[in-house]
Amino acid sequence: MKTKKSAALALTTVLAMSTFLAACGGNNNAAEQNNTSSETTTNQAAEGTTNAGGVDTSKEVKIKMLLVGGKPADYDQVFGELNKLVKAKINATVEAEFLDWADWNQKYPLKFAANEDFDIAYTANWAFYNDQALKGGFLELTDDMLKTYMPKTWEAMPTVSWGQAKVNGKLFMVPNNNIEVTDKTVLIREDLRKKYNLEPVTSPETYAAYLKAVAANEKGINAFGAKPADGWKWHELDQILLEQQNDWNLVDYNIPLAYKLDDATGKVFNVYDTPEFTSLITYYKDLSDSSAWSRNVVSNKNDVWQDIKAGKTASYAQNLGTVAANLTEARRDGVSFELAIADLTPDKKKISAISTQNGLAIHASSKNVERSLMLIDLLQNDKEIHDLTMYGIAGTHYNAEGDDKFSAGPSAANYTGFSNWGWNSTLNRTDVSYPAEAQSIFDAWVGKVYHFPLETFVFDDSKVKNEVANIGNVMLRYAIPLEYGLVKDLAKGQADLNAQLKSAGIEKVQTELQSQIDAFLAAQK
Amino acid sequence: MNRSGFWGEVKKNRALLLMLTPAVLFFLLFAYVPMAGIVLAFKQYNHTGGIFGSPWNGLDNFKFFFESGNAWLVTRNTVLYNIAFIVVNNVLQITVAILLFEVAGKWFRKIAQTVMFLPYFISWVVVGAIAYNLFNFDVGTINSILTTFGMEPIDIYNTPGYWPVILVLVAAWKSLGYGSVMYLAAITSIDTEMYEAAEIDGANIFQRIWKITIPNLIPTIIILVLLAIGNIFRGDFGMFYNMVGNNGLLFSATDVIDTFVFRTLISSNDIGMSAAAGFYQSILGFATILIANYAVRKYDKDHALF
Repeated sequence: MKTKKSAALALTTVLAMSTFLAACGGNNNAAEQNNTSSETTTNQAAEGTTNAGGVDTSKEVKIKMLLVGGKPADYDQVFGELNKLVKAKINATVEAEFLDWADWNQKYPLKFAANEDFDIAYTANWAFYNDQALKGGFLELTDDMLKTYMPKTWEAMPTVSWGQAKVNGKLFMVPNNNIEVTDKTVLIREDLRKKYNLEPVTSPETYAAYLKAVAANEKGINAFGAKPADGWKWHELDQILLEQQNDWNLVDYNIPLAYKLDDATGKVFNVYDTPEFTSLITYYKDLSDSSAWSRNVVSNKNDVWQDIKAGKTASYAQNLGTVAANLTEARRDGVSFELAIADLTPDKKKISAISTQNGLAIHASSKNVERSLMLIDLLQNDKEIHDLTMYGIAGTHYNAEGDDKFSAGPSAANYTGFSNWGWNSTLNRTDVSYPAEAQSIFDAWVGKVYHFPLETFVFDDSKVKNEVANIGNVMLRYAIPLEYGLVKDLAKGQADLNAQLKSAGIEKVQTELQSQIDAFLAAQK
Repeated sequence: MNRSGFWGEVKKNRALLLMLTPAVLFFLLFAYVPMAGIVLAFKQYNHTGGIFGSPWNGLDNFKFFFESGNAWLVTRNTVLYNIAFIVVNNVLQITVAILLFEVAGKWFRKIAQTVMFLPYFISWVVVGAIAYNLFNFDVGTINSILTTFGMEPIDIYNTPGYWPVILVLVAAWKSLGYGSVMYLAAITSIDTEMYEAAEIDGANIFQRIWKITIPNLIPTIIILVLLAIGNIFRGDFGMFYNMVGNNGLLFSATDVIDTFVFRTLISSNDIGMSAAAGFYQSILGFATILIANYAVRKYDKDHALF
C-alpha cells in the first residue's frame, strides 16, 4: 500500500519533471547565450600592424562573413569561383554565413553577444549599425587602415560618404557607394483603375478614390494590404502621407519625433500632436470605414506581395526598388493583370539614402583585420569580383550587357535575395528589364533630392532608453489601431495616445534629442 | 567493514542515483551555472566588458518596466491567466483521466487518448495560424458559419473581451492529453483492492470516484499545482505571442510580462533590461512557491514539496 503510493508519486514526479524540462529547453536559449558571451572579447585587432609598405599575405587565412538573407541555392558554385580569385589576389578564402530574413533581427545581435568567430558583418542604419557600434561590436576603422588596405575604395568613395558613416566621430563601417532615394511609392492594379474609369493615381486623394472603388466593387479583393503585425510602429502609408507629404523627416522610426526638412534650426516635434496627423487619421478612418483594408489587418500573417500577385490584394506601399522588382517579377511570371507604380507625392522634396543604407563592418574580435579590409576593397571595387558576387556567374546567373547593364541568366533565381548590397558601388550594373516607369520616376527624383544639415544626424538614445522602449510600446498599442481606423472616437483616440506618450516620457526624449540636434548643428557651423 | 558511510549509501542506491544524474546535470548546467548572469540585471551591458566587465548601473535596468505604467497590468494578466490555466487544466485533466479509467473498452481508451494527445505536439506557430483562419473577420471559419445562418459576423481580433476565454480554451485543448496521462498513471497505481472492497460494501461508481480515486490523487495534484505555481509569473511566450502577435487592441486583455518585455526590448536589444525583467519574475515566482509550500506544509506535512 505504502510502496504503491510512493511509486505513483515517483512516476508523476518523473512525468511532471519532463514537462518542466521540456519547458526549460525552450527558455534556456537566452541563458545559454549569456553564458557563452563571456569575457573573451579580447581586442587584439585594435592596433592592427599598420606598417606602411607592402602587406604581408604569406599566410593563407579564411575570412568569415556574416550576411543577412537566405543562403542562395548556388552559393557553393559562386563562392567557389570567388575563392579562386581571392586566393590568387590576397591569399585568402571566404566563407559566408547567412541569417535568414525570417529571424535575422533576433539572431544578428546574438552573434555579437556570443562573440562568435567571424570577421566581416553586413550592417546598415536599419541593421544594428549604431547599436553595435555603440556597444563595441565593431572595430573602429582609421584613415590609415583604409588607405593602406583598401586603396581602391579610398580612391572611389566620396568623402561625404565616410562622414555619414561616423558614429560619435568614429568610423566603424565601410559604407556602400551608391545613390539611392528612400522615398516610398505604392503599387496599384492599373487594370482595375481603368475598369472603374478613375483618374491617374498621383496624390493622396486620387489614391483614396482608387482604394474605395476597389473596396466597393471588387468582392474578394482586399484594396490595401499591410502587415503591421511584424512590429513596424507606423501605418504603412505614413512614410508617404505623413513624412513625404508634409516634408518632414522622422529622426528615428522608434519614436514619433520629426523635424521639418527646411527648418534650419531643426526643431523637433511630436508628429501625433499635429493638425496634419489629425487630418491624416480622418483620411485613414474614411478608408477603413469603406473597407479599404481588412478589419483584421493588424493580425495579418500573409506576405502582402504574394497576396497581390495572387490577385487577392490590390495595393501596397514599398520602396521604389522593391516595387520595381515586383513589376519585373510579375511580368516575368506573366500575371494576368496590369500593375503600375504610383508616386503619391511627386512634387515633394526627396531624401537620398545616406551611405549607411548598406555596408560592411569588421567584427571587433576579428583576427584577420587586414585581409578582411582587403577583401572588402575587392568586393566593392574589383570589377571581376564585384560582378561575380553581385550577379553570380556570367552565362549562368546573369548575362553581361555591355559594361554597365545585365540581364537575368537562366538560373538567376539561384543567386539572389541576400545582402550583397553591402558592397554596392559605382561598378553596379543595371538590369535591362528594370521597369522603364520605375527608372523614369527615379530619374525625376534624383533632380529633386534635397540635402539638409541634419541628413547625417543619428540619435544616440543611450541616456533615454527606458523612455524610448516604453514609447515604442505605446505606439504599437495606441497609434497602430488608431491609424488603421479601428478606434471609433478619433479625437479621444488621439488624446489617449498623446497622454500615454507623455507618461511614457516623450518630453524627456524630446529634450534630449533637441539638445543633441542643437549640438550637431552648432558643430557644423 | 563499515558500509554505512556516505559511499556506502552511494553504492546502495547507485541505480537510483544514476537515473537522477541527467536531471542534476541539466539543472546544474542550465540553471545554476548561468545564474551568475543575474549580475546583468544591474549592469550597462557592452560587448567589450562582457557579462562581468560591464559597468554597474544600479537599479536603472528595472526602471523601464516600472515606469512604463504597464507593470501592474501585465503582472496581473500573467498571474490571472496562469491561475485560470492551473484550475481549468487540472480540473479537465483529472476529469478526463477518471473517465478514461472508468471507461471499459480498451480500444476506445487508446484512441481517445491519442486524439487528445495530438495537440500537445502542434507548435504554437501552427496553432496561431489555425486560430487566424478560424477567427479572421473576412474569411474566417467562424464568421463564414455565422453569415451562412444569417447572423452578424463578429470581430474577434478587435475585441479584447473574447480573448481570455479563447486563450484558456486553447491552453486546455493543448495540454489536456499530456496532463491526463499523468493523472491516469496515478489512478492506475491506486490499489485495486480498495475498489473491490468498496464494491462489496455496495458503493456506486460516484462514491468510488469521490471517496477513493480523488483522495488518492491529492498528492499528485498538489505536486503538479505547486510546480505550476512556481511559474505563475511567467507567461507562456510561445502561446501569447503566436495567438495575439502585435495586435495592440488586444493588449489590455492579453499582454503578459513575457510578451511585453519582448516587444519593448526587441528593438533596443538591451540585455540588461531583459535580464532585469527575468529577475523580477524569478523573485516573485520564488516567493510564491515558498508561500504555497508553507501553506501546504501547515495543512499536511507529507504533501509539501520540501
